[in-house]
Parts: sequence; C-alpha cells; structure tokens
Amino acid sequence: MMNKAGTDIQIAICGSAGDGTIASGDIMKRAAALMGYNVIAFDEYPPEIRGFGKCISRIRISSKQAYSLKEQSDVLISLNDSHAIPHAREVRDFGAVIYDDNLVSAVAEGGHMSAHINAAQVPYGFAIRQMSEQATNAARARNIVVLGYLAGLYDLPPEHFREIIKAKFAKKPQAVIDDNTKAFDAGLVAGQAVFKLDDVVVGAAGDEATGSKAVMMTGNGAVVRGFMEAEIQSYFGYPITPATSIMERLAVEMPPKGGNFLQTEDEISAIAAAIGAGYTGSRAATATSGPGLALMAEMLGLGVMAEVPVVVVVSQRGGPSTGLPTKTEQSDLNLAVFGGSGDAQRIVLAPTNVEGCYRCAGMAFDIAETYQTPVILLIDLYLSNRYETVVPSDEASFAPKPRIDVVADENAPYKRFAFTENHISPRALPGQAGLMHTITGLEHNELGRPNDAIHMDMSTKRHEKLNSAVHFPGLNVSKRFGDEGPVDVGILGWGSSFGEVLETMYEAQAEGIRCAAMKVVMLSPLPIEALKEFFADCREILVPELNYEGQFASLVSGALGKPVTRLNRATGSPMVVNEILEEVRRLSGQNQTPLSAAE
Amino acid sequence: MNERVKPVYLEEKLEEIRADGHQDFRSKSLPTWCPGCGYFSMAEGLTFALNRLGLDHKDVVVVSGIGCASRFPFFVSSYGFHTLHGRVLPVATGVKIGNDALTVVAVGGDGDAFAIGGGHIPHAARRNVDMTYLVFDNGIYGLTKGQASPTSALGFKTSSTPYENGDVPLNPLMMLLSYGASWVGQAYAGHQHQLADLITEAMAHKGFSFLRVLSPCVTFDKTDNTYGNLNMMVRTLPDDHDSSDKMAAMAQAMQADHPATGVYYQEQRPTLHQVMNATNDRAEGPGAAKTK
Repeated sequence: MMNKAGTDIQIAICGSAGDGTIASGDIMKRAAALMGYNVIAFDEYPPEIRGFGKCISRIRISSKQAYSLKEQSDVLISLNDSHAIPHAREVRDFGAVIYDDNLVSAVAEGGHMSAHINAAQVPYGFAIRQMSEQATNAARARNIVVLGYLAGLYDLPPEHFREIIKAKFAKKPQAVIDDNTKAFDAGLVAGQAVFKLDDVVVGAAGDEATGSKAVMMTGNGAVVRGFMEAEIQSYFGYPITPATSIMERLAVEMPPKGGNFLQTEDEISAIAAAIGAGYTGSRAATATSGPGLALMAEMLGLGVMAEVPVVVVVSQRGGPSTGLPTKTEQSDLNLAVFGGSGDAQRIVLAPTNVEGCYRCAGMAFDIAETYQTPVILLIDLYLSNRYETVVPSDEASFAPKPRIDVVADENAPYKRFAFTENHISPRALPGQAGLMHTITGLEHNELGRPNDAIHMDMSTKRHEKLNSAVHFPGLNVSKRFGDEGPVDVGILGWGSSFGEVLETMYEAQAEGIRCAAMKVVMLSPLPIEALKEFFADCREILVPELNYEGQFASLVSGALGKPVTRLNRATGSPMVVNEILEEVRRLSGQNQTPLSAAE
Repeated sequence: MNERVKPVYLEEKLEEIRADGHQDFRSKSLPTWCPGCGYFSMAEGLTFALNRLGLDHKDVVVVSGIGCASRFPFFVSSYGFHTLHGRVLPVATGVKIGNDALTVVAVGGDGDAFAIGGGHIPHAARRNVDMTYLVFDNGIYGLTKGQASPTSALGFKTSSTPYENGDVPLNPLMMLLSYGASWVGQAYAGHQHQLADLITEAMAHKGFSFLRVLSPCVTFDKTDNTYGNLNMMVRTLPDDHDSSDKMAAMAQAMQADHPATGVYYQEQRPTLHQVMNATNDRAEGPGAAKTK
C-alpha cells in the first residue's frame, strides 16, 4: 500500500476455472509493469483444464525490488465466492475485499463473501455481473469489470490497462476489444465513485522502480529468452508440467531462426537426441521435470563419461512419482546432483529468480561447451510460472564464441580424451578431417578406446576439470547479503525459495537481529570456499527449503562437515516468511535449545 | 579343352583387396567377436558399402547401442558414438539433426533394437530420419552370455529359458513395414556379397532404411540360428516381388519360417530434415507465429 516508503501492494484474484481469473491477473500484472512498478506474480490453478477448479492469481506491485510474494494480500477480488471465501482470511487488516453483492441466484447461508469479511477488512461489494451484462450483454467480462473497479479505487492510470486489453485481444475482432474496454470503463467509474480509506491509494512508481525498459516474464519465459540469445540450435522436448511452456515457446521461436525443434517420443529420447546433436557441436538442450529427469539419469551419465555438452532444464514439482504435478517443491536436488550410476559429477545451476533464469540459461551452453559435460538448470514450478519484471542487461552476450579448432597431426593419432593441465581435452567434431574417433560410455583411454585399467586417472580428469567452474567468468555462483562480519544467524538458501529467505533476513535485521543470508546458485560443484567463509561468520546456520528431507541442508552439511538447522516445508506451496522469521528469532536468542543430534 | 585354372596366391589376393580400398574403412582395432561370428561379414559389408558409395571417412558417423553388435563403431575408421543400451536411434537422430551433412549409420543387435529400444523404432521410422539402421539379429543376448531375446524362437533353450522359451518371437519386418519405414530389407550373414550390396542400397536410400541381418551366434546358439539351419531356411525374394507394394512386402514378411532376403519395400517421401526445413520456411513466411 501507499505509504511514505513507496508502493507495495499485493492483489489476489480468485475464481473458478473459466471465469477468466488468470487472464484478469495477466492484464493486471502487465499493466503494472507498464506503469513502471516491480512486479512479482504467481498463479495457482488445478491440473484439470475444465471442471470448475479453483484459480488464484496473486500479483505484488511495488516501487522497490520485491523478492517474494507476501503472505497477506492487500486486496482480494472474488469472481467466485465459494472458492474465494477461504482466502478472505489472507487479506490484511484494512485491506479490501471486492466481491459481487448482487447475485442473481440464491446462495446458501454462509455461501456469500459478505459473511466472511471480518470487521477490520474493508468490503467493496458491487454489482459485478450486472455491470458486465450492461456493458457487453454477457457475464463473461466480469474479470475485466473488476480490473476497472480496482483501477478506480486505487487511482491507477487507466490508459495502461486499456493498452494491455487492446494488445491481449489484438487477434480477436474489434468488437471484443470494444466490449472489454467498455467493461473496464464501467468498472472504473464505479471504483472512482466509492469511498476510499486513506491508505488505499497507490503512489507513483518512484525512482527505484524499473522504468519502461523492464520486461515482464516468467522463469520459463526467461529460460527461453536466455536460450534464444545464446542462439540455441537444437531442442528436443517431451511435455511435462511445469516445463512444457519452455517447449511450447521454443516451438514458436526456433523455426523462424532456422533452429531444429523436435518433440520426441519420451524424455529418454529427448536427452539422447540432445546429446547426439551436442556431439556434432550443435547447441542442444531439453527441459523436463523430476519424473523426466529420473528417466534421463542414465543418459546424463553418458554425457559425463563421453564428455558431451548438453543443457537440461529441470523444473521441479511435488514428488515422488507423479506426485503433485501442479504444485511446487524443491525435492529433485539429489537427483539433479547425484542421479545416475557411477561417479558422475555434473554442473548444476539453481537460479533464484526470473532474471537468474535468464542469465543461467544464456550462459549454460558456454559452460557446457567449456567443460564438455552436461549442465542442469534446476528450477521449480514456483519459479517457472511466476512473473517478475526483469531489466535486460545491454552488455550481456550469450552468443557462441568462435570455436578453437583442433589441428590434426599426421604423425600422431588424435587423442579425444588427452590428459591436459586443466583436464579439458581439445574436442574435435564429426566432419573434421584427420580427427576421427569414437566416443563411448565405456571407460576409455585418451584415444577413446575401451580400457578398464585407466579408470582412476580418467575419473580424476572428469572430476578435476569441473573445479574451475565455480570461477566461471560472469557467473555469480553464490552471493552473500545482509550484515558483514560475524552474525548470529546465517540463512542459506537456494532456488525459488531464496526470495523468502531474503525478505526474512531484511525483516530480521529490522528487528535488530544480526543476520546474513547467502544464496548458492551452483549446487554442483559447490562453491566450498564461499560456504566456508559464510559458515565461519555465522553462529547458527538455517537452511529453509521446500522439501521434506532437507536435501540442500544435507548436501552442504555433508560437504562442510558442519551442522545446520533445517527448515523443511513440503506443502506444495511457496515458503512462508513468517515461518523462517520465527526460526531466525529462536536461533538468535541467547538460550536457544541445542541443535538436534541428527544434524 | 578346359582352361588351366590359375592358382591364387595369398599375396596377390591381399594386394587386390587393398587396391579395392574398402579395407581403409576398417580401424586398427581388432573385432572382439568370436571366431565365426556372423558380424564379421557385416563389418566387411559396411566397409564395402562405405567405399562403394565414395564416402569420406570424416563425414560418416557410426552410432550404436550396447551389445556384441554395438561394438561396431570401434572397428570402423570413421567418427563413432557407442551409446547406451537401446538408445541408438534417438542419439543417431540427434546426430543427424545436429549436422545434416553427416552420413549416419545406426547399428545394434536384436535385444538392443526390439527389447529395450523397441519404443524408439516407430518414431525414427515415421519421421523418416535420413539414416540407415542395421540390426544384426542373432536371436540371443551374446554379450551377457546367452539369454533369450525378443526374436528367439519358441521352444529355444537358453540360460534364461532353461525350460524352453514360451514367448512368441517378434516379426521385425512386419513391425517396420507397419511403422512406416521408407526402406525395409533383409539380408543373411552367410550370403556376404548380397549383404554388402543390400547395405549399399540401404545407405543409398534417402530416408530411414532398415536392414535386418540374420546372423548365427556360433557360441551360444548351437541348435537354432546356426549356419546349417539358416542355409536351409533362407531364400531370396521372388524375382517378381514389387518393392513398391507394401501388401506384397507384408505377405513375404509373414513367412518368417522361410525368411527371404532382398528389398521388401521402398518409397520416397520427405525426410525429417526436409520436413523441418519446410516448417522453418512456414514460420518465416506470412502468418508466421509471433516471435515476441
């Protein structure tokens, strides 16, 4: 809400599948981005396409950088009371609840929103359906009427909404644009006319806002943008929630650039073909979720053994097995870092926000080609589907660098897996004269011929070559935030839940707790030096993550031989700032309980 | 009067073979197969075909799965990729997509192809990936020392079917014909010259060509697909077989007890690469999907 510090407002729009809930949220977030606000947004919807399941779109609009959604919304808009009623309690005190107070059909006692708004909340009931019907002769535009009402209530500039509505329906007949604009304007007039509380006014975007250069994208959209800027040449995919939209987007964007796009028969063939294409020097990638990654595990081992570059995006969802396909979780860390047979270390990058998705995806090919090995981009549903405003950097270039060709030596056979100082062997590509060789998943000698006796030396080569990856130019593999020097509590986070970690840290600092946070983006190999320094500075280490077992906590704790406190949450929904904050408060106290022996 | 037959001297014969050039396509690695294995004639046949087609070593990639047959890439002087069990076709598809200028030969045995890799065959066939798939079918798992495979005959005794195999064998030719492979043929390791010719024809075909090669496993199969039995069973396709007639091809393929060698079926249709190019052209043209 508007206060001296600037704007920070979260709007929740809730309805039934088919009400246009997500579409309404989409217009809201795009309009806000156009106004220059920082936007972070996340939609939840049922796995069924139809069937009246609950849809909810949450949009946080702020003039300062926001790192996560807020636990409490400032506004709830109900397009369907039976779905929205349970969410009335997530509206803060003096927050607004917008609902239809002129229902045409009879409602059971307690089935109406008005019965669930508490005394501290501000009810804004109006005739949504009636207004939609008057403006457009149909009830379908209710989701647009409420946006107009919201804009009127908060004095948001209506022209940005109209522009987004026009763009959204650009392919539809003009009448559709006109109807929706009429619906918006009707809502706007109604919203402007109602009584407002002092703090329900949104301030201007402000100096710290993103300005017009910002682009609104999801994590998956950012991955696609990174890939396209890196001039991806071959993509192989198989549909799986929540990674599908990466495939769908690349299916649109790659063909006009002459790229090779193929939907394969399963995840095994997707990564197999990507490795085949990677072997020829093509920039190749695939994207999947946990169950698909499980199928790909054997092929990842081949990529490690045969030293073939390939990029695999993994967007995690609730597991194991089919699990919770439309809910978020961070429980495929073990599979991403360790999955497969044998000692098969690979590079795993876990960006923490949408911009990180863009940067990691853009750099992934370069990293994979440099180290001649698979690179996994580990994200999750919450990051894949959430919207953030990103300001693209002008200087970043992800385009392939010129290849250094291997020169054939007539007097000596080409050693594809030659031992070198940095353990990286010059790689020839099929089609190059005089450099013929066979690569294999069998253990092999420098020539690539099957050989068991050399296993120790080759294992050393494959692992040691990755050591310098943590210093890869332009890649921030870890970053510390908060207080310098010794602190009471250090919060260690990774992936999508780091936003909540950062918000928690700032709140803890505000409470006077000496506190720091660190995000770890490279999960394999781990940035051990940075972690050691962080551990040395923190009296207590807290590791919040969205899984039951505490997979990242185990990884870090094992690598450093130091105990950590776990905060595990496996509910299918994002991390909650208050839960972390409570734990930080407890750990920062003088008389806290000893760490559990199991850690 | 009969002409006097000139005796053949080993040195002269070797010179003749060297001059032919196909030996250049053999690598310096000695095959690991058992003496008498049918796969030797396939190595000979493939090097012969590569030579006859005038291909440059650097432009050929031999991709294989896992098994006795899949050791193949090591014995050929070209680029090679020895991949995972059952995954030869998707990897080979990726290689071809990654660089269309390469000639891709996929190689595997019957277990690699029809058991663990069975799910990939229809898709490589229907997409008409421009490559040649050679399946060396000896009806047994050799590298793991003699277990039944999907093409083992009913009643065949192996280490995994000690009380006789009770599973009906697959008919690979019927599978490939119904999957839409654009070139389907069958050869026999005992008929080496015809085998070399058929590999050449399969490779000359533009599109997905599938050649099944019947081969004895001299070590683990002393009763079934032996040279003696196959010599009696194998016939050639009738002279009047029309290889553009899929129903006729299927009628021949159904006679699995008397397998016929030759080209069962062939058709010309766009390859995966051509289809992708057409897609890319459509995407660039008017009405193209929005890119922003």
